[in-house]
Amino acid sequence: MYGRVIGVTVVGVRGHIVAVEAHIGRGLPSLTLTGLPGAPVQDARDRIRPAVESAGFEWPLRRVVVNLSPGNLRKEGAGLDLPVAMGVLTASAQVPAARLSGYAFAGELSLRGTLVATPGVLSVAMAAARARLEGVVVPADNAAEAALVEGLHVVAAPSLAEVVGFFRGTWTPPVPEAEHPAGSPTGHTVDFSEVRGQAQARRALEIAAAGGHNVLLVGSPGAGKTMLARRLATILPAMSREEALEVTQLHSVAGLLDGGRLRQERPFRSPHHSVSLPALLGGGSAFLRPGEVSLAHHGVLFLDELMEFRRDAVEGLRQPLEDGRVVVSRMAGSVEFPARFTLVAAANPCPCGFLGDPRRRCDCPEHRLQAYRQKLSGPLLDRIDIQLVVPRLSKQELLDELAGEGSAPIRERVEAARNRQRRRYAGTGYPCNAQLPGPLARKVARVSRPAWDLLAQAVDGMALTGRGFDRALKVARTIADLDGAPEVQADHVSEALVYRMNLVEEGLARVG
Amino acid sequence: MSGERARDPWPVWPDGFTSGARERRAALVLSALAGLRPRTLLPVAADAGTAGACVELVARGALGSEEDRRFVHLLEADSIDAALGACGARTVLWDDPEYPPQLRTIHDPPFVLYVRGGALPAAERAVAVVGSRRCTDLGRDLARAVGRGLAAAGVTVVSGAARGIDAASHEGALEGGGPTVAVLGAGIDASYPRGSRALLERIRGQGAVVSEYPPGVPPQAFRFPARNRIVAGLCRAAVVVEGEKDSGSLITGSHALEFGRDVFAVPAALNNPLSQAPLMLIRDGATMIRSAQDLLEDLGLGPGSSGPPPDLTLAELAALEALTGPTLPDRVARELRVGLADALTLLMRLEMRGLVRSVGGRFEATLAAVPATRVR
Repeated sequence: MYGRVIGVTVVGVRGHIVAVEAHIGRGLPSLTLTGLPGAPVQDARDRIRPAVESAGFEWPLRRVVVNLSPGNLRKEGAGLDLPVAMGVLTASAQVPAARLSGYAFAGELSLRGTLVATPGVLSVAMAAARARLEGVVVPADNAAEAALVEGLHVVAAPSLAEVVGFFRGTWTPPVPEAEHPAGSPTGHTVDFSEVRGQAQARRALEIAAAGGHNVLLVGSPGAGKTMLARRLATILPAMSREEALEVTQLHSVAGLLDGGRLRQERPFRSPHHSVSLPALLGGGSAFLRPGEVSLAHHGVLFLDELMEFRRDAVEGLRQPLEDGRVVVSRMAGSVEFPARFTLVAAANPCPCGFLGDPRRRCDCPEHRLQAYRQKLSGPLLDRIDIQLVVPRLSKQELLDELAGEGSAPIRERVEAARNRQRRRYAGTGYPCNAQLPGPLARKVARVSRPAWDLLAQAVDGMALTGRGFDRALKVARTIADLDGAPEVQADHVSEALVYRMNLVEEGLARVG
Repeated sequence: MSGERARDPWPVWPDGFTSGARERRAALVLSALAGLRPRTLLPVAADAGTAGACVELVARGALGSEEDRRFVHLLEADSIDAALGACGARTVLWDDPEYPPQLRTIHDPPFVLYVRGGALPAAERAVAVVGSRRCTDLGRDLARAVGRGLAAAGVTVVSGAARGIDAASHEGALEGGGPTVAVLGAGIDASYPRGSRALLERIRGQGAVVSEYPPGVPPQAFRFPARNRIVAGLCRAAVVVEGEKDSGSLITGSHALEFGRDVFAVPAALNNPLSQAPLMLIRDGATMIRSAQDLLEDLGLGPGSSGPPPDLTLAELAALEALTGPTLPDRVARELRVGLADALTLLMRLEMRGLVRSVGGRFEATLAAVPATRVR
C-alpha cells in the first residue's frame, strides 16, 4: 500500500518541495524514515503515531517506511510532521488520494493531533506557489502568513482531523482574512519627535537614511546614541511589498513572526556585544537560523559598544556589508541568507567614556587612548561613511531645545532624495549613493567646479585619504539630493566634511 | 634677578664643595643617592665643607638612610662617568664657571647638573613655559605660539619635556629656530615620558637637556616637583598656561614668584579645572597675558604684532562670535537664525581655515580666531 503527498523543507529562507512517500508493508509494527531526515525530522517519528491516534484515526500495525525525496537534500524543521502523517493516512486508505497532489502540507503536530504554529510557513507557501500547486495546508495559527502569497488556496486547519475532513469533503476551511497593506505604513512605536536637541545627529541620520550610509556614533555614556539609532529605522523610506515579504519571510523562518501579518516596519536589531558568531551571522547546529544581520535585512543593525564585540564578529560583518547577503557554510553545503542593512555602530570616545566632555574629565592614560583609537579604526571603518560625535547635553542645553520634528516629515524628504537617486542610477543596479563604488561615484556624482576644489583642499588641509575622499563625495551627493540640487555645490561638500571621515584617526586625539 | 648673591635668603653650598677631581667624584656619588635630597644635605654641607666629607658621613651612617649607607659602598664614580660618556652627557658642578649664576639664588640649588647638548642659557635670555599634561587644544596652541614667539626673539624656552603644554612650548621654540632647554625629573639618560625620545633628541640638537640626576635614576613622583625649582630657577620669567589647583605648573609658578622672577599666567573660564593654577597665580601677583604678543611686549622683546585679522564675511564673523566656549552647532544656528545645515557649512569653512575646531560634537574658536573677534 502506497501513498504520496507533498511537503516542503526550508533551507535558509527558501522552501524546497519534498515528495513524501509512505509504504505499508509486512513486518513488525514500526516507522522508518529515509531520505536524509535532519535531527528535528527524525525526532518526529515518535510523535506522529500518538498524533494520528489522538485525532481518531488508525495507525497501521505493520511496517511503515516513509521516504523523503530528493534524497540528497537534508530535511530540516518540524513542518514535515503533517505531510508524513498524511502520507501514512493516504497509504492506509484513510484519506482519498484524489485532490491530495494539488496541495503542499506543512505543520508541526502535537501529541493530541492539533497543528502547532510552525516557523517558515511563508517560505512554504512561496515554494508551493512557485511549483504551481493549487494550495497549501498549514496550521490555523499560520493562516495570515500563508495568505500573503497571492493566488494560493490556504487551508488553515486547527488539527489533523480537520485536514482529513477537508479531503473527505466533510469540513470547509474558513477563508483567511485578506491582508490590508494599507494599514500604518511603518507601525513603529518610537518617533523622532521624542529626541530633544541633538540637531546635528538628527541631521546626520537624515542624511544616512537618504543615501543609505552606515553611521558611527561616538559619544559618552548617556549621550543618547541608542535612542538616536533606534529612530533611524523610522525615517527610512517605506518598504515595497516585495521587501516587506522578504523581511516577513526571514522573521517567519526564525520563528519571530507574531500574528503572521506582513511586517511593514523596517526591522531594528541590536544584538548584545556578547552575541555568538552563529547568532550574529546565521547558522546553528540543530536548526539553521538566520542571524541578526539577516533579521536586520532592509532595516537597521545597531551595534552598541562596538569595541566590546569580538574581533571575529566584527570581521564577519564585512561580507554582508559588501554583498548584502551572508553565506553560512556547513558540512552539508552552504546556505545563503539576505542581509542588506544599514549599520549604526556606537562607541565611547575613549575607554573611560568622557573624552571631549566639557563637564567631566577623561582619566585615560595616553597609551590606552592610543590603543583604543587603533582598535576603533579597524576594518569596519572603511564601510562607514558618516562618523559623528554625539555630545552629552547639559540640563540647560536640553531645556533650551524644543521637541524636534517627527519622523513622518523627515521620511518624506528621505523618500524624495531616494527617488532622485533611483532615477539617476536607473539601470546601474545601485539603489543609493552609499552603495556606489568610489570610482563610479566620481564619474556620476555631477560635482560643480568649486565643490571639486573644496574637496581637493580638504585632501591637503584635513589629510583626507583616498577612501575618505570618496566617502565625503558620496555624502555630499546625498546632501545635494536632499537639497534637490542636480549638481553637488561647495556648500554640500562643506557640510559633508563635518561628518568627518578622519574623526577616529585625528579627532579623538583631542582633549576638550 | 638682579645681583646674584645680593641677598642669600637660603643656605647654599660652601665654596669648594665640588672643586677638584676627588670632590667631583664624590659629588657624582652623592647625586645618585635617593635618600639624600639637597634640603637634607645643605645644612650638613656647611659644616662638612666638601662633597667628599659628606660621602664619608654617609658611609659611617651619620647622614642619609641605611639604604644610602649600603649603596654608597657599591657606587663607583668611574661607572657613573662611564655611563655619562655613553649617553654623551657632561657635568656642570657648583664650583664650575659654567654653573648658571641665576641658579645660585634659588633655595636648594643642585650641586651638580648633568647636561646633554649645548650651553646653558643666561638668565636674561631664558623664559620658562609650563602647564598641564592634559591640556586643551587652545592651551596647546597658545604654548606653541609663545614658544615660537620667544624663540624668534632669541629667547631660550625652558620647560619640563612633559606631554601637553611642556611639549608644545618646546616644539614651538624648535619651530621658531631658537634654543630650548628641557629639565628632566629622572636620570639624564631617560626618555621620559614614553614617546618623547624624538622630541628630546631635537631639543638636544638645538639646545640642551638638563637633570640633577645621573644616568639610570628612575622617574619617581618626588623628583618632578624638585625638577620644577630648576625650571623656575634657570629663567628670568615663567609663563603658566594651564594647570589644575595642585599641579606641578602651580609649583613652578610659585617657585618663580618666590625666587623673584616675573610670572605670567593665561586665564581661562572660572569653572575650568585647568584655569585654577593660572588664576591663583594671578591673584598672587602674576601678570595676566592673553597671547604670545602680550608676553613679548611685557618682556620688552619688541612690539606685539598680532598679525592682520583674518578676512571674514559677516556671516562667518557672526558664527565665530556665537562660539562662547565649546558650543553646539544647534545653538549657532539659532543665534544666526539659519538652518542647521547652513550653520554647519559655515563652521566647516571656518574649520578648514583653522579658525574653528570641533571638540566632542561641539565647536570652539581657535587661537587664530582671536584677532578676528577682538577687532570690533
